[in-house]
Amino acid sequence: MILQQTINGLTLGSIYALIALGYTLVYGILLLINFAHSEIFMMGAYFGVFALQFFAALHVFQGAPALQILGAIFLAMLGTAVLGVVVEFVAYRPLRHAPRLAPLISAIGVSIFLQNLMMTIVSPEAEPFPDVVPVNIYTVGSGATISSLQIFIIVTSVLLMAVLNLFIQRTKLGKAMRATSQDRETAELMGINVNRVISVTFFIGAALGGAAGVLNGMYYGSVKYNMGFIPGIKAFTAAVLGGIGDVRGAMVGGYMLGILESVGAGYLSSAYKDVFAFVILILVLIFRPQGLLGRKAADKM
Amino acid sequence: MRRIKIATLIFVVCAISFVFIGGCAKKKAGVTVIKIGLIVPLTGDIAAMGQGMKNGATLAVEQANEREDVRAKGLSFEVVPVDDRADPKEAVNGANMLISDSKVMGVVGHLNSQCSIPASQVYARKDLVMISPASTNPKLTQQGLRNVFRVCTTDNVQGSFGAEYVYNRRKFMRVAVMHDKTTYGQGLAEEFRKRFEEIGGAVLSFDGINFGDRDFKAVLTRIKSRNPQAIYYGGMYSEAGLITKQAKELGFNVPLIGGDGIFSPEYMKIGGKATEGDIATMIGAPPEELDTAKKFIEDYRRRFPNVAFQPYDAYTFDAAGIIIDAVMNAGTSRKGIVDYVHKIKYQGVIGETQFDEKGDTLNKTITVYTVRGGKFVTAD
Amino acid sequence: MGWAVPIAAIVAAVLLPIIFQVFEQYHLVHVMCLIGIYVMLALGLNIIIGYAGILNLGYAAFYGIGAYTAALLAINAHISFWILLPICGLFAAAAGMIVGVPTLRLRGDYIAIVTLGFVEIVRLGLNNLDVITNGPKGLPRVGETIPQPQLSMGAFVLRMDGDLHYYYFILLLVLGTIFVVSRLHNSRAGRSWVAIREDELAAETMGVNTTVMKIQAFAVGTFIAGLAGCVYTHWIGFITPELFTFWESVLIVCMVVLGGMGSVPGVILGTVLIAGIPEVLRDVLQRVAENLTAGTAATWREYFDNIILARMLLFGAIMIIMVIFRPQGILLARRPDIRRNIG
Repeated sequence: MILQQTINGLTLGSIYALIALGYTLVYGILLLINFAHSEIFMMGAYFGVFALQFFAALHVFQGAPALQILGAIFLAMLGTAVLGVVVEFVAYRPLRHAPRLAPLISAIGVSIFLQNLMMTIVSPEAEPFPDVVPVNIYTVGSGATISSLQIFIIVTSVLLMAVLNLFIQRTKLGKAMRATSQDRETAELMGINVNRVISVTFFIGAALGGAAGVLNGMYYGSVKYNMGFIPGIKAFTAAVLGGIGDVRGAMVGGYMLGILESVGAGYLSSAYKDVFAFVILILVLIFRPQGLLGRKAADKM
Repeated sequence: MRRIKIATLIFVVCAISFVFIGGCAKKKAGVTVIKIGLIVPLTGDIAAMGQGMKNGATLAVEQANEREDVRAKGLSFEVVPVDDRADPKEAVNGANMLISDSKVMGVVGHLNSQCSIPASQVYARKDLVMISPASTNPKLTQQGLRNVFRVCTTDNVQGSFGAEYVYNRRKFMRVAVMHDKTTYGQGLAEEFRKRFEEIGGAVLSFDGINFGDRDFKAVLTRIKSRNPQAIYYGGMYSEAGLITKQAKELGFNVPLIGGDGIFSPEYMKIGGKATEGDIATMIGAPPEELDTAKKFIEDYRRRFPNVAFQPYDAYTFDAAGIIIDAVMNAGTSRKGIVDYVHKIKYQGVIGETQFDEKGDTLNKTITVYTVRGGKFVTAD
Repeated sequence: MGWAVPIAAIVAAVLLPIIFQVFEQYHLVHVMCLIGIYVMLALGLNIIIGYAGILNLGYAAFYGIGAYTAALLAINAHISFWILLPICGLFAAAAGMIVGVPTLRLRGDYIAIVTLGFVEIVRLGLNNLDVITNGPKGLPRVGETIPQPQLSMGAFVLRMDGDLHYYYFILLLVLGTIFVVSRLHNSRAGRSWVAIREDELAAETMGVNTTVMKIQAFAVGTFIAGLAGCVYTHWIGFITPELFTFWESVLIVCMVVLGGMGSVPGVILGTVLIAGIPEVLRDVLQRVAENLTAGTAATWREYFDNIILARMLLFGAIMIIMVIFRPQGILLARRPDIRRNIG
């Protein structure tokens, strides 16, 4: 059973990690908790559904399920990435020099707006996710099962994270992002276009959230306008667990949270599974406030 | 200067509110408008059922307004849809809004017991009749409120019926029970467990999940390791669909059995192929067996051509019909209407409805349905 | 002239409910009660966020603790409302200290996250400790009641019953809270809080014991939440854990920040807007729909009904627009006048 719970946890953790990256990237650069991120995730899931419906209506990629799914993920990532940049432009950029809580309010406004938008124009009901890929179930070890969907989710998210890591470590833009997150003013003095870096950050973070949305929709077979909230706070917890602002921390935090949650719900109580997540979060913050991988940040001196 | 502006603003707001109070006194010449409140979740997790109920009530009112005797009395009925979002706080807010409107002569609602129970006390303050088409928790009518009725049977009838069916007909001895911890879901699950153990079955586990969760694999993995022959779930279709789907993905191929909460076409939409063979108990006789019900389904299809039929539409249609009947016979006194409903014998689309002294219906038929080919069909 | 606005606001606050009651608009009286409760909550949170600058995202947890304390003690121990009121405040404040003492030495953002976790733990705890709290089915259980508070002076007995009575009681509590909050703001503690908000390091070097002062702000703020919870329980007579969610906390934060952090009139204005707009939109849109569509085709009516359902969409858009145009809040906080208190 522990093997099965680990498999469940890894799948869940992949999705948390992808969402957590969005929080952590934005926090690293703007010191802003992007509360609208959970709605970006939700929109990603809807974009995925729309893309698949679109393919079906136009008869493209029919008979090639792999292409359909990859196409849907790509389009959803593109859609949420653009949405993320738009949200930053409309709701955060005008407030760059406002008191720190003001962007929080506009983020919550964006959240309410997007949720109700999908509820009104699509449906308040769960929308089935078109099942284009046949799900195969493989037995591993003694009685544990893993589905082709779970393998796909884990592999896709690991690939996306690897690409992100390469981007941040190896490219010029990635270097600019790291520089901005260390010290925005100095980065600006060094000739980095900080506004562009911020836009790119939102673009990447939202794209990853969008991918997570499609994977989540595929995994549960349906999407809904309020599906973002719970994974959103969980992923946020994961980001803090690993050390907010730290990209690798978000990945580690996501997987840890996913596995802890599955094991806790499996062995102790399904009703208290979210309590475990938050108790661990609070304990980590009290005893290791910088998170598991975070560096100890020196307060301003 | 700014202060003056703010002061003006406050007065303008006050002035506008007066205009609105005045505006609502507007009357249509020669016709007395009677409003029937319909207060169900129109948005949120279980909006599909609520929207269907709104259609049921709308149809009842529209048909009544065509009737000669209604016109002769100079009455015109109207549905006031209010959204309670399945949230007790919103339900109480909405209930207060309805009792404030002196043209509201009756309330059809609420869907969820956790909304019906607190709201029923609000209606009781103004003697406004409340007929719930769907709240099945026994406690609703045990509060001693004279104005509260329901046209559906209660969870203890349904839960024990389900237990007997599972044990005697399906011959399942070992069952895992899950519920969503709501007044409705937990109540149903507890009634099921009580009866199932009484007649000799074994309940292997009893788990609560949190309403709104989407991942149940962890708890299902644990349940699977104990090898039950079926899962009984007390709750709504939105979670049940995900549970049955995720169970089958874990290679856990047992049927899910639920109550009226999962009896909705949305269940198959969410659960997909995994729902095949799942079982739902539903209050009332199958509509194909009643002539009145057949007519209702035809009328409904004509009026709402592209809408899938939801489980409580017929109950809502009858609940609204009872209020219309009461207004026609007892006039427009809220107290008189309550008295009349206590004595009513109403021939509706779900059969004959009569209430006992608590306000529960005497009609206690329950039908078992199973999913076959993506549809609920009557099981044998 | 400086008094015109507060006087107009107080006159409106006193007279409007009577007018609503006379015109049988009970729903609006109910909404005004609700706004009153939220004003108390927002004023309490304002001490924590607006004065001391601590971002608390779990304020609803303390409100919930007050509400559940009231319900449990009223049902099981039959304690009268007047004794319960301070007890609930103390319970909530004690919970505030338990959360605050280990965490308030952390950096600001971490406190936000700890309180976020706390509100979820409290909600899930209330939801799952069925034996005590009756879980999601809420309190009181069927057959139990929460006795309505009454005032008796000799033969004269005043029972609190119905929204109008509660409204005036809530109004008194709100005025009391305003008084206490503004006195605190001008006190030594208030100045220390503002100093911490403006620059924690500088405040510490100037001899302010920042951790103790922050815990104090937390305790006072959560005490007020406990009072509000106690009143809410007695007024509505039915509570469930779903009332005290993270989302509820976020709404209260919005009330504080939207109107203008640290300014009492601003906080009140923000609360009236956020708690009132969705309800007013529901009411107004409903009436507009009825008046415009009287006699027209039923499809039009359905169209309007759908707009009413989308009222939260408008609300979200209004929030974004307001905060973009007035990021400091609608009403600015005035800096405390230092000269008045010197010499």
